[in-house]
Amino acid sequence: MTRTRPDAGTRPVLEVNGLEVHYGARRRRRRALYGVSLSVAPGETVGLIGETGSGKSTLARTVLGLVRPTAGSVVVDGEDVGAYGPRQWRDLRRRGVVQYVFQDPLRSLDPDLTVGASLTEPLLVRGVARDEALARVRAFLPRVRLPEELLGRLPGELSGGQRQRIAVARALVTEPRLVILDEPVSALDSANRVQVLEILKELRDTGVALVFISHDLGSVAGIADRVAVLYRGELVETGAARDVVSRPEHPYTRLLVGSAPTLRGASAGRAEREALRALLHA
Amino acid sequence: MTTVSEKLLTRSEEHGPPGSPDPRDRTLPLLSLRDVRIGDTGDGREIVHGVSFDLTPGKAVGIVGESGSGKTLTCRAALGILPARFEVTGGTVEIDGTDIASLTPARWTALRGSTIGAVFQDPASYLNPSLRIGRQIAEVLRVKKGLGRREARGRVLDLLRAVHLREPELVHDQYPFELSGGMLQRVLIAAAIAADPRILIADEATTALDVTVQAEILDLLADLREQAGLALVVVSHDLAVVAQLCDEVLVMRQGEVVEQGPARRVLDDPRHDYTRLLIREHEQYGLEKFLTPEEEA
Amino acid sequence: MVRRVLSLTSGRVAVTILTAVALLAVLGPLLAPQDPLATSDNALAGVSGSHWLGTDYLGRDVLSRLLDGSRVSVLGALEVALTALVVGAVPGILSVYLGRVFEWITLRLADTLVALPFLLFAVAVIALLGNGLTQAMLVTGVLVSPLFYRVSRAATLAVARSPYVEAALISGASVGWVVRRHVWVKVLPPTAVAFAQTIGVGFVIVSSLTFLGIGVQPPEPTWGGLLASDLGYLSHRPWAPLVPALLIMVTVWAGNLLADAIRDVSGEAGRALLRGRGARTGRTDPAPAGGA
Repeated sequence: MTRTRPDAGTRPVLEVNGLEVHYGARRRRRRALYGVSLSVAPGETVGLIGETGSGKSTLARTVLGLVRPTAGSVVVDGEDVGAYGPRQWRDLRRRGVVQYVFQDPLRSLDPDLTVGASLTEPLLVRGVARDEALARVRAFLPRVRLPEELLGRLPGELSGGQRQRIAVARALVTEPRLVILDEPVSALDSANRVQVLEILKELRDTGVALVFISHDLGSVAGIADRVAVLYRGELVETGAARDVVSRPEHPYTRLLVGSAPTLRGASAGRAEREALRALLHA
Repeated sequence: MTTVSEKLLTRSEEHGPPGSPDPRDRTLPLLSLRDVRIGDTGDGREIVHGVSFDLTPGKAVGIVGESGSGKTLTCRAALGILPARFEVTGGTVEIDGTDIASLTPARWTALRGSTIGAVFQDPASYLNPSLRIGRQIAEVLRVKKGLGRREARGRVLDLLRAVHLREPELVHDQYPFELSGGMLQRVLIAAAIAADPRILIADEATTALDVTVQAEILDLLADLREQAGLALVVVSHDLAVVAQLCDEVLVMRQGEVVEQGPARRVLDDPRHDYTRLLIREHEQYGLEKFLTPEEEA
Repeated sequence: MVRRVLSLTSGRVAVTILTAVALLAVLGPLLAPQDPLATSDNALAGVSGSHWLGTDYLGRDVLSRLLDGSRVSVLGALEVALTALVVGAVPGILSVYLGRVFEWITLRLADTLVALPFLLFAVAVIALLGNGLTQAMLVTGVLVSPLFYRVSRAATLAVARSPYVEAALISGASVGWVVRRHVWVKVLPPTAVAFAQTIGVGFVIVSSLTFLGIGVQPPEPTWGGLLASDLGYLSHRPWAPLVPALLIMVTVWAGNLLADAIRDVSGEAGRALLRGRGARTGRTDPAPAGGA
C-alpha cells in the first residue's frame, strides 16, 4: 500500500529558520537552541533525535508557543508566530492545527477528569457542543485501539500504555495538520511501545505531519522519513532516516548510532566511542 | 586485599576473574537460586514460579522481562528486601553458601554492601537531596568499614575516579540536583561497590538514561566484571542490554522463566515463542535493520 | 466532595457535631428556658428540675447562659475562618496569574502577617478600638489568612505547571477555562482543610479572649466567659467548668476531624481510598504495587 499524500498544497506545515532560544537573565543566561532551521512538509514524518540537554523539548515548546524565541523565525501553517501574544496564540491554537503528545503518560491527563472529559476538551474549548464532541471523539477511538467503555473511567484506573494512547487520541480530535510527539514511547514497556509505534505508523498514512522527538534511534528510524539530530542546541545533521542511521557523518551522530545496544552488542566498540566523545568535547 | 575501586583504577590487562588463591572459590557459587517461588501473602497467589541460576565470581547473569514478569521481585528476594506483601514460598536462595532464610536482620545488615550490592532504576530517588555526594558515599564506608572521616574522604575520591566521573573533587562536594542522570547512576554504583561486595545487582540501572550515557554505564559494569571480578545480575526489559553484558540469560514472563541458557544460544537459537517475539520486536524497531524498504501491501 | 466526606465515619461524626453546634448557635438563645441574664438568690445551686445545669454565682441559670452564649462563640469562629479564607485564598490563586509584581507583593505581605502573634494583636485591637469582638475577629482573620494564601497558591502552582494544563492551553483554552475546569477542583480540597482547621483555631481564640474577659461586656454570656467564672467557684461546683470546656474541646476537635476527613478523600490518596484499594501506607517502598 503506497502512502497517499493528501493534496494539502506544498506550503510546509512548519518552518523554523535560524531559531535561537536563550534562558535566564544576564549572568545566568543559558543557550537552549542556536541556529536551528527545520521544515516539515505536509504529511511528512520527521524524527528529531536528541538526548537530555539537547534542546529538543525547548524546540517543541517554542513551536507550540509555550516558549518565546529569542531570534529567528517560526512559521506555523503559514503564520509567523515569533511575535505572537497570548491572544493570537489562543486563536491559532483554536484552529487546531498543531497538537502535542507529552512524554509522561501519568501526568498528561487530569486525574480528576474522566477519559471522555479529557478527550473532548480540545473540542469544547473551541465551542463545539458536548454531544457532538463526544461523537467525534468516539470516531477516533478505534484508531488508537481503545474500547468505548474507557470513556467513563478515570486515568488512575488505566495502564501507562492506555493513557498514552488516550493522549494520542486527544491530539487527533481536532484533526491537526501537525502533531509533535515528545518521547511518546520512552516511558512504556516493550509491548505498549510497539503498539503505539504501530498506531503512529498508521497515522502517517492519514496525511498528518509528525515530528517525533526521541533519544531512541531505533523507534525513530523505524517511522521517520527524515531525521534531524540535535546536540547541545544545534542541529548537527539532517537527512533521510536511512542514510543518517547507516552512514552517520557528524561525530555525535556516530556516537549515538554506535551506543545503541543491538542484539550483537553495541554497534561501535568502546575505543571508537571514547574517541568520538573526545572529539566532541574538543 | 585490594578494594574494588583499586582494581578498577589499575586497569590490569588480565581478563576474567582475578586469580583467587583458593581454587575452591571458582566452583562455589556466590549467589545461588534454586527453584525460588514468591507468593502474595494477601491472597496466597504464587507470583514467581520457580527461578534458578548460579552466579560464580566474574559471571554475569541477565534477566529479561516486562513489568509484571517477576524479575524485580526475584532480585528483591535475593537482597532480602521483598515488600511486606510478598514472601518466598518455595525454593532456596543462598548467598556465599548460606541460606538466606536463616539470616537474622543483623546478619543481613552485615551481608548487604559487603557481599552483595545493588543499583536501581531512578538514581535521584536513592540519594538524599539535602546532603552532598561525598558525605553520602562516605556514610557507607564509615558504617561498613569503620573508617574515619579523612580516610573515608580519600576512599570516596578513589571510588568517584573509579567510576569515571570526570572531576571527582568537584562532584564530591556537589548536591544530587547538580548532577545529570548518568552521573548520579555512577555515584550510586560507587556507593554500591564502596564496601567491596562480590555481587552487584543492577535492576533496570540504565533504563532511565540517554542511550549514549547508557552505553557508558554498561561499559562500567563490564569493567566491574572483568577487572574487579564482580559477579553481576543485570535485569532489564531490553534484550539487547542483557545480550551485551551477560553470559547467561533468563527470559521471564508473568512470573515464569520461559527460556534460560547461554546468551549467545538464546539469541541465535531461541526456543520459546516469547523470546522469538522479543527478538523480532528488536529487529523491527531497533537499529538492526537500517531501514528496509517499506513493505508493499 | 460532600458526599465523599460523608462516606467516611470520621466525616459523618465531624459533620454531625458541627451541625449540632451550628444549630445550637442559631437556636440556642431561643431554646433557653430562662432569661440568661436574670439573677436570683438561688446562687451556686446544683442540678435540679428547673436548672438542669444548676446556677452560677449570681443565681443565673447556667444552661440558659450556655445556650445563649453559643451564638457569640460560633459566630466569632466563623468570622475568623471566613475572613481568613477570602483575604487569603483569593490573592493566593490570583498570584499565580497576575504577574510577578503582584506575586512579590502578596508573598511579602503574607510573610509579614505570619510574623505577628494573633492573640496579642486581637487584644491590642480591642484595646484601641473598644470592646468589640467582631473587630477583633476580623483582625484575627487577616492575621490567619497567610495560611490560606500559601495553601491555595501552592495548589494552584502545582496544577498550573502540570502537563494536562499545558495540554489544555495548547488546545486553545483560555486561562479562565483552565482555572474553572482544572485548577478549581484541585484548590478546593486543601483550602477546605485549612478552613475546617481554622474554625477550630477561631473557636480557641474566641474562647481565650472571652475567658480573659476581653471583647464582650459582662453580663453577656460566652463559653469562654463561663469557663472563667466557673473556675472561680470550683470549691462549690467542681464539675461546672467541665461543661463549657467540653463544648469548646469537642467543637475544635470536630473541626480538625473534618479537616482530616476532607484531606483523606482528596488528591491521589483520596482517589485510591475511594477506589477501595486502600490508602497508601506512606512508606518509602520503591517496589511497584503489583510487583514486577
